[in-house]
Amino acid sequence: MEKHISYIERINNLSRTKAEHTGIKIKRGLNKKSSTSTDLAALDADDKGIIPPPEDFEFKLEPNHPSGGVFGPVACGSNYRKLLENHPVYIDPNSSLAGGYMFNFWEMSNPVKGKSVWNPDFDFSFLKEDQEKYGIIHGIGDPQHFYQDINIGFKLGWKGILEKIRYYKKNNYPSGKDFYKGLEDIVLGIQNWIHRHAVAAEDYSKVEENPVLRENLIEMARINRKLVTEPPETFHEAVQWFAWFIMSSLMYNGNGTGGAIDVFLKPFYDNDKLKGILTDEEAMFHLACLLIKDNEYYQIGGTDINGNDMTNPISFLLLEAAHLLKIPTSIYLRVHEKQDPKLLEKAVEILFEDRNGSPNFVSDENLNSGFIKNGYTIELARQREKCGCHWCNIPGREFTHSDLVKINFVSVFDVTLKEVLNSGNANHSVNNVWDRFVYHLGKAVEVAAKGIDFHIEYMHEIFPELVLDLLCYGSIERGIDASHGSLEFYNLGVDGAGLATVADSFAAIEQKVEIEKCLSWQEIESVLKNNYKDAENIRLMLKNIDRYGSGGSRADEYGVRISSIFTEIVKEKSTPKGFNMIPGIFSWALDTLMGKYIGATPNGRFANEPISHGANPDPGSSDSITALAIAVASIQSGYGNSCPLQLDIDPILGNEKESQGKFIAFIKAFFDLGGTLLNVNILDKKKILDANENPSKYPDLIVRVTGFSTYFAGLSKEWRQLIVNRIIESS
Amino acid sequence: MSQVSGNIFSIQRYSIHDGPGIRTTVFFKGCPLHCFWCHNPESQKSEQEIQVVDFRCIECGLCIKNCPNDARKIVDDKILILKDKCKLCMKCVSVCMSKATEVVGREYTVEELIKKIITDVPFYKRSRGGVTFSGGEPLIQIEFLLECLKECKKNNIHTALDTSGYGTWSKFEKILNFTDLFLYDIKTLDNKKHKKATGVSNKIILENLNRISERNAKIHIRIPLIPNFNDTSKDMEEIANYLKKIKGIELVELLNFHQLGYGKYKNLQRQYLAENLKPIKDERIKELSEIFIKNKFNIKTR
Repeated sequence: MEKHISYIERINNLSRTKAEHTGIKIKRGLNKKSSTSTDLAALDADDKGIIPPPEDFEFKLEPNHPSGGVFGPVACGSNYRKLLENHPVYIDPNSSLAGGYMFNFWEMSNPVKGKSVWNPDFDFSFLKEDQEKYGIIHGIGDPQHFYQDINIGFKLGWKGILEKIRYYKKNNYPSGKDFYKGLEDIVLGIQNWIHRHAVAAEDYSKVEENPVLRENLIEMARINRKLVTEPPETFHEAVQWFAWFIMSSLMYNGNGTGGAIDVFLKPFYDNDKLKGILTDEEAMFHLACLLIKDNEYYQIGGTDINGNDMTNPISFLLLEAAHLLKIPTSIYLRVHEKQDPKLLEKAVEILFEDRNGSPNFVSDENLNSGFIKNGYTIELARQREKCGCHWCNIPGREFTHSDLVKINFVSVFDVTLKEVLNSGNANHSVNNVWDRFVYHLGKAVEVAAKGIDFHIEYMHEIFPELVLDLLCYGSIERGIDASHGSLEFYNLGVDGAGLATVADSFAAIEQKVEIEKCLSWQEIESVLKNNYKDAENIRLMLKNIDRYGSGGSRADEYGVRISSIFTEIVKEKSTPKGFNMIPGIFSWALDTLMGKYIGATPNGRFANEPISHGANPDPGSSDSITALAIAVASIQSGYGNSCPLQLDIDPILGNEKESQGKFIAFIKAFFDLGGTLLNVNILDKKKILDANENPSKYPDLIVRVTGFSTYFAGLSKEWRQLIVNRIIESS
Repeated sequence: MSQVSGNIFSIQRYSIHDGPGIRTTVFFKGCPLHCFWCHNPESQKSEQEIQVVDFRCIECGLCIKNCPNDARKIVDDKILILKDKCKLCMKCVSVCMSKATEVVGREYTVEELIKKIITDVPFYKRSRGGVTFSGGEPLIQIEFLLECLKECKKNNIHTALDTSGYGTWSKFEKILNFTDLFLYDIKTLDNKKHKKATGVSNKIILENLNRISERNAKIHIRIPLIPNFNDTSKDMEEIANYLKKIKGIELVELLNFHQLGYGKYKNLQRQYLAENLKPIKDERIKELSEIFIKNKFNIKTR
């Protein structure tokens, strides 16, 4: 029987389908990221909108290298085109948008699974010894982490982009001919992918019984037939165009960065409103359909280049869409003084009501004032959007390689302490350890910088940024890949990790060995070597000092010192090839991996345990969230990338309007103090503890791991335990 | 700054239920009342105490070995403090690395305390919050309280006093000019019941309430709702009728009984007289709050 179906019902249907897909993904181990996990089915990464392919689907790439890899622009372009041309059609009649992506091309094309894509012919073993010594996550071969200006696509459409490629190919010939071949294949593949969906939507519409969904499919067919070549004209078309681009980009190499969605969709929204062809409910529905396909890294509520508030109805509609869907999302509210206060109120209300770890909050002022310290104008800083887990980017104009290069402070400290203790000099001092730590940190930054240069030198020959290149300024024009120098700005992110572990270790030795003289250097050496075996008292003595995050302690001072010296070293010079680096403190979700190979540390941490999370104090170090905020605000690197505060709090702190108002004041005060980014988990302790024992009982429970949110049940045992530890030790 | 010091048993930052905005609540040790439902048993005695937090204990036995008075013993698998023998020398506290044995109550100078309070000024500013002195009963450390209030006002920090109202008028007189808000407890108007439940008469409490009101104090009335003690409509109607005559009351808060203090009684090896009481049901709280709404009070329940 034919019946009406509302937008809300359709959203609920979409959420249900997503939950089913997530179940299949967990079962089949799709999208597994963590190489530290022993749980093969764990997702352990952003819950991006990837959907499971049909089980009988088969596809084989055509490698062009003896290692089995697919390398270089021609091979990447042709193979990706082939994948797009063979990609199963995915249409959910409840959705207003066609398509769904099912693969990670960059992982398929990689001969060594679970590692960064790399061609072994490009040997960087000359860096390996130091990279391993200092626990550096080098980022060589890691893709994307900068992002597109979607307006280029909105203006040209796929036909226009293809014409642009062919124009410059001819103009620049023979320069960049392989690169252009790759780009052309990508566009042709995408056009084929879209076209097949237009045809399928038309076919499905003929058999769809529900009149609302039938109309939806007819409209879907019309729009997609148009978008194969033409640029979008309406809000619905623009959202669909964006979805195709972002899905192509996600599937190619994981780029799922949305950017300032309330800004780039606004002209379409305004135009449709003026014509009377769009209601807010419809607009919200299209956004919900988009979030199902790509759920992460959208900025709302920013400013224009003159600092005026850009908050508009789309900012609210996106929040509402996420609220109705109740899926993991990462929506960043850029907080500033000129902002419509209702947006922050709405965001905080949803944060506490949905408990999905989203939205998150970034400080417009602190990111901008930091970025201009690199020598840029405030107008440019205002165009730099918050887009990844902790980083920012000027859409289409800046290559950042952010969140990929990490220096493990704990490894550097470990190397230092061992060196000092084995030096044969009996007169050790904490000052001496500090001096050597600074020396080794300098060496670690040097080797990280060389790795960045190596990536920029060769990545384009291995796995070029072919999809992002389409919507950047300079790549097509110059025939050069974005990873190889085509863009206007190169500001490479270099992050430190494990700040609290090292700050607490310095303070513990200072207090217990030098000041109180309860322990000798030899005892420290011995308990660390023996991993605190039969020395639980000593371990607790070291652990229970006033740690980083307690406020006004020596460990707090060490936290500031470590961050300052790291910032100073990173900013002291560019990479050997002259690229600017921007420091941050953030370990993403690598705490477990980064601690896995390091022995016991003087802060009471056992060998192989995770290091502390990014810029956060260890759980239990702070007596309140204000103490946490003050600590993390005090160690900001301050050059335009963030050192986030990850907050895990009880729902009671925001269960009514009044307490939500106080939380808003808390956010603003954190930013007044210098904070840049706030990620918040609203965690019901009882529920999490039960879910840890019985994950399958809570398939919908969403947690914010770090820069991303995901399903708790989809995490590996180790990662679930990390979340649980945070809660237990904080209470 | 004044050299007077005070005994504080807890400092709670980001306190959002003890007055407006984000606050730091400072808990003074010592209370003249002994309410049988008290959820802060560590607040009652003025002197320092030792408590044992079971789940932190690593069973190293150092507290037993190091106690010069034989006051630490294992009884039924638990390390207890034999209170008749303990001379509060704190030796067991200093050797405990796991923080299972802890001192309750720490002496703070005004300067030390103000330093702590000032740390969160950015949060007070954004939220129009401040500091709340609570307890125990802060008035029993009046000189210390007064100096702290004065220093807060010097630093433009909003001050609130969470009080049982039980203290001589001269104490109120001293602090009135430095206290921006009173969080004033009323338990029952029935003096007999009050005496039985808290150990003191409510006469002086009600008198003080009238007098601070006459001096234009801003007041939030707090009523702990205790099952089988003051949870009848009659109790609340009496209170509402009484409060109607008092000016300056900006808010009436009904605070439901809870069991969160139970573990603290265990840590202090004390018996909890309200162990078997259950919180009052939401619907009943709503009914009782209607009495105040009817009498045109702003009401909040928790």
